[in-house]
Amino acid sequence: MPIMVLPAPDIAVIPLQQHIGAPCEPIVAVGDRVKMGQMIGQASQFICASVHASVSGQVIAIEPRSLANGNKVPCVVIKNDGRDEMALGTKHTDLKKLSASDIRQAVKDAGIVGMGGAGFPTHVKLTPPKPVDTILINGAECEPYLTCDHRLMVERAPEMVQGLLAIMKAVGAEKGIIGIEANKPDAIAEVQKVIAEYSNLSVASLQVRYPQGAEKQLIKAILGREVPSGGLPADVGCVVSNVHTAIAVYEALMKGKSSYERVVTVSGGAVVDPRNVLVRVGTPIEDLFEFCGGFLGQPEVVICGGPMTGWEIKDLSGPVVKNMSGVLALTREEAAFDENHPCIRCGRCVDSCPMGLTPNLLGEYSDKGMYSEAEQLHLKDCIECGLCSYVCPAKRALVTWIKKGKAGLAAEKAKGKVS
Amino acid sequence: MQNKTGPFLRNPLTIDRIMADVRIALTPAIVAGVIFFGWPALKVLLLSTLSAILTEALLLRAPLTPKGIFGDGSAAVTGLLVGLILPPTTAWWVPVLGSVLAIALFKLAFGGLGHNIFNPALGARAVLLLAFTSQMVRFRAPFEAVTAATPLLSTRSFSWPLVWGNVGGSIGETSVIAVLLGAAYLLYRGHINWRNPVGYVGSAFVLALLWGQDPWYAITAGGLLFAAVFMSTDMVTSPVTPLGQLIFGIGCGVLTMVIRRFTSLPEGVTFAILTMNALSPAIEALTIPRIFGLRISQETLKRGIAVTTAAVVVCAALFVVLDRSKPDAVPVFSLGEYLPIGELLGTDDYEVVDENGVRYFLVRDAEGNPAQTAFVAEQGGFNGPIRLLISLDAEHRINSVSVLDHSEDPGLGELATRPEFLAQFAGLDKGSEFALGKDIQGVTGATISSRALVSGVQRALEQFDRTFFPQEEAGAYADGTYHAQVDSFGGPLELEVVVSGGKIAAVNVLKHSDTPGISDPAYANVPQRIVTANSPQVEAVSGATVSSTSIMKAVQKALDQASGDTSAVTVEERTGYAIAVGDGVYRASAEGFGGELVLDVTVEGGKISAIEVVSNSETPFIASQAFDKLIPAIIEAQGPVDVVSGASYTSKAILEAVEKAVSGAEPALVEPEEQQVYEIAVEDGVHRGKAEGFGGELVLDVTVEGGRISAIEVVSNSETPFIANQAFNKLIPAIIEAQGPVDVVSGATFTSRAVLAAVEQAVSGEAAGTEESEDVFVIDVPDGVYRGSGQGRNGVVTLDVTVEGGRITAIAVVESQETPDIGGKALEQLIPAVVEAQGPVDAVSGATLTSKAFDEAVRDALTTKEGQ
Repeated sequence: MPIMVLPAPDIAVIPLQQHIGAPCEPIVAVGDRVKMGQMIGQASQFICASVHASVSGQVIAIEPRSLANGNKVPCVVIKNDGRDEMALGTKHTDLKKLSASDIRQAVKDAGIVGMGGAGFPTHVKLTPPKPVDTILINGAECEPYLTCDHRLMVERAPEMVQGLLAIMKAVGAEKGIIGIEANKPDAIAEVQKVIAEYSNLSVASLQVRYPQGAEKQLIKAILGREVPSGGLPADVGCVVSNVHTAIAVYEALMKGKSSYERVVTVSGGAVVDPRNVLVRVGTPIEDLFEFCGGFLGQPEVVICGGPMTGWEIKDLSGPVVKNMSGVLALTREEAAFDENHPCIRCGRCVDSCPMGLTPNLLGEYSDKGMYSEAEQLHLKDCIECGLCSYVCPAKRALVTWIKKGKAGLAAEKAKGKVS
Repeated sequence: MQNKTGPFLRNPLTIDRIMADVRIALTPAIVAGVIFFGWPALKVLLLSTLSAILTEALLLRAPLTPKGIFGDGSAAVTGLLVGLILPPTTAWWVPVLGSVLAIALFKLAFGGLGHNIFNPALGARAVLLLAFTSQMVRFRAPFEAVTAATPLLSTRSFSWPLVWGNVGGSIGETSVIAVLLGAAYLLYRGHINWRNPVGYVGSAFVLALLWGQDPWYAITAGGLLFAAVFMSTDMVTSPVTPLGQLIFGIGCGVLTMVIRRFTSLPEGVTFAILTMNALSPAIEALTIPRIFGLRISQETLKRGIAVTTAAVVVCAALFVVLDRSKPDAVPVFSLGEYLPIGELLGTDDYEVVDENGVRYFLVRDAEGNPAQTAFVAEQGGFNGPIRLLISLDAEHRINSVSVLDHSEDPGLGELATRPEFLAQFAGLDKGSEFALGKDIQGVTGATISSRALVSGVQRALEQFDRTFFPQEEAGAYADGTYHAQVDSFGGPLELEVVVSGGKIAAVNVLKHSDTPGISDPAYANVPQRIVTANSPQVEAVSGATVSSTSIMKAVQKALDQASGDTSAVTVEERTGYAIAVGDGVYRASAEGFGGELVLDVTVEGGKISAIEVVSNSETPFIASQAFDKLIPAIIEAQGPVDVVSGASYTSKAILEAVEKAVSGAEPALVEPEEQQVYEIAVEDGVHRGKAEGFGGELVLDVTVEGGRISAIEVVSNSETPFIANQAFNKLIPAIIEAQGPVDVVSGATFTSRAVLAAVEQAVSGEAAGTEESEDVFVIDVPDGVYRGSGQGRNGVVTLDVTVEGGRITAIAVVESQETPDIGGKALEQLIPAVVEAQGPVDAVSGATLTSKAFDEAVRDALTTKEGQ
């Protein structure tokens, strides 16, 4: 599905928090005119990413607006004037002339966050606490339906590779490896063509399996290194970046373009014409579905992200944000299931858990509020890939309970109940 | 409202689908079972499956739709499994009960699917196995062709029929091919993984190899493979952790092999898996998988493996220890049935005797003589010890051989434990040829077990004889015919003994003067027994002990000439007792082996004429030897004799007591009496006498001829059969012989007394007047028809009694509400009876009330009413 461009929205609702960490401070006022790419919210802390206008026009409100997940967060609401006036930053031409700190600063100014879904501020990632020798680009895109990274690799491989080189430079890594699942041969071919001239770059063709794109599993698969329990990729000398993030880094450095648009996969059995669309941040999600022909009847559920780890979209008028890789409308046939039969102890969850956990017990303990028991079985090591719930023949909501357990455990710790 | 969270996709696999897959995987085994065992197998499977489904539907109050009743399909799987591990020939209620137990007790009572600790099908099987063992081991050979395969199988080695499955066994377990097809499907569908079954089969294979068994046989025979694929892999009751599954499988294999080899439990697989089910949570906790990014410490891993290994070893040891420490006297296992010893012996009235380190069970006859002796013997069978209960009759011939427990293979060695084979032992004794093909025919396919049983029985018999009847070697007697004469009860006894081939070939009694009738059994049996035993020491015929002993003595005397040797009971010249007392009976006691021994010594004419044991606490058998041999010897010798070897304490006590009695230390207990003789006060003819016996009235006819009682006939009695017969058979000839009262027969004292009283009454002439006192109605009314009534069961019974010539000529029922079939019929029977008897008749059984009313009405009519 080639990437198509979605027309800019009439009104862009840009949340001041589209990332993990603290929200940023608005630096515009109602009535101000803003240009496309202009910073409108500034990072107030280190783990925070600034936000930028995705359209040119007038700020008509700064107020809490409902996001796709139903939560209300402060947003800058801009009335599009349709002129798409650009506010560009510094355009660099030669990567070699840039220092690591130049790159980090440019990335920070552009407000780049991990675009695979987590939304972790990229400039933080580029400041690893330990020496890093290898940068991995996560081109596994292992979740069903999602194809945006795949398309980006096919269509914009050179930009991604430039982005990778910049990231390597920023963290001082010598090697770069792009991991791509073997079921995307066109992407592998494209990327291989581009990296032919770089001896320190390589492509790793990965076995097709879920969750190959989970950070720890990707590192293990490509480098054979195992991130210690509770540790970071930097602990084993690497940093993992998303395909789209690498391209955003390239654009920030070479085009002076901040992070205000992204490619989103619009798919699912309930979508008439699934597409990959390049869309401005702040566009209402319903516009995406409309662009793709609308729904075939009433979808059972509309979700943000992949079907395995994504979450339900409660409000279709909510805005697209920087880490939104896909929106899926699933039919009853695809997503309907009755939940929670008794566990028959088949052990499929244990067999399938990529983290080697015992999800049957974690789920049971978490659901029953036995958080410390769950913690002893390494509750916190769960990466919430959802595989246990997927394979469960009893259709138990294992990962839902585990998420609840993690929250419960954190709450108890905060209260000092659990030492 | 909470947001839905991922994953939004689910694997299409559901519990229902898994259960359907398991049923598909079971299909080859079902088909094989039905092919090999036919309609009975299909019936068992249908019953078990339907019962399981219905039990679950009822207990869960499922909606009454096909889907609702069928549920998730797990009950159907459990039901099929219950049926597949049953023998095809089991009774119809076994699969039904099994499925009800599996679903209700082993599944739903624990909280339903997923919560049960034990495999429901195996749990049910364990209960059935222990409660209805015979139903569970009733195996059958498939088709007819199995005989061709058994010789191979009996060598306990692998053969191809085991793979195809045309061997005896439980319905689903016999065909390796079918089970492997099911396993392949389950593996393909991902419902089982290799760890559990490979651990199970692999460990069994390795152990068989280590123990020198045929490993291929070990894993293909019996239910091991079926269990490894369908039972130990039961998701609910086995660990979810990968290492745990492997350990679980290995534990099952080890326990199965240990149970099969070292215990007598009839079943290895069931108990092995149930034990591992119980260990499953512990195994799981100890084998939590390695978590990504965490190095598992070698110590943790080692501890997990060590603890689980220890647990398995402890369980295995427990099985062996518990099995070995089974108390002997409790209900025991025989042919798959737990039977009390009493049932095997045919009576619950047996004594348990521990003697010379051997425990045996003794049944006495009414006189207290040993009638049946049974003891447990053990012989190594094919798989382990076979324990037998051997029961001997009074002649030490085998009554019966029962297998108490064994671990022979069903359908193979087990064939030799069946009644058809064991029945061959009946009637054999230690002189028989215990060899297959001679007195005993072996069972095809169970040659080794047959041989073990035969040699076990033979060894046990020899052992028994050595222990309780130490005898001199039957010296090779010189061939020839030897005469001997001894004094017996009634006078001299003369016989000849024919020795041929060094053995006693015949004992011919030439002359004797013992009481006919009483001594007859002795002369009829003892010579034969002596020939059979090739020994003069045989068991005396009870009731004719003196004659028996005399015959033996005479034979001994004859044989002494034949061997020129001494024997155990040599009658030597010795100093006789100095009889310091006058005629009379003297009682004396001495300390025997088991306690006080009391004797009555009768002195007549300055000689000991009889010695009677009054009471003793000696060990039966041993003591009776001493009594039987020593007492006649003492009487003959009139002095001390050699003790009976093997019973020296008792012998010494007897000698001591006799000496005491005749020494004059004790006063005479009974002065000698003139033999009492009845005064016959009646003339020749038949005289009736009556007396009250134990159970009611006893009526005798005594025939008097020439002033002597010539015959006594029992007319009617209500005495206890057997016991009373004894009294009749012994007492009556004795009375005739004595022409006077004789001692009562012990054990039948009341009857004896009644007989004596009745005889006395008959010959005294007192009986005549009492006759017919109550037997007729007193008719003191003129001829006519008289109406009378009595209270019946349902109301008043009114009769018209016609009296003609002072006799009742007719009775008509005027009114009766008695139940036609009972009371009505009774009246029809009573009327002719009363008319004939002219007196009251016995009540019609089952209609006592009506009979009574009838009697009452007749009397009423004859006494109080006016004629009509």
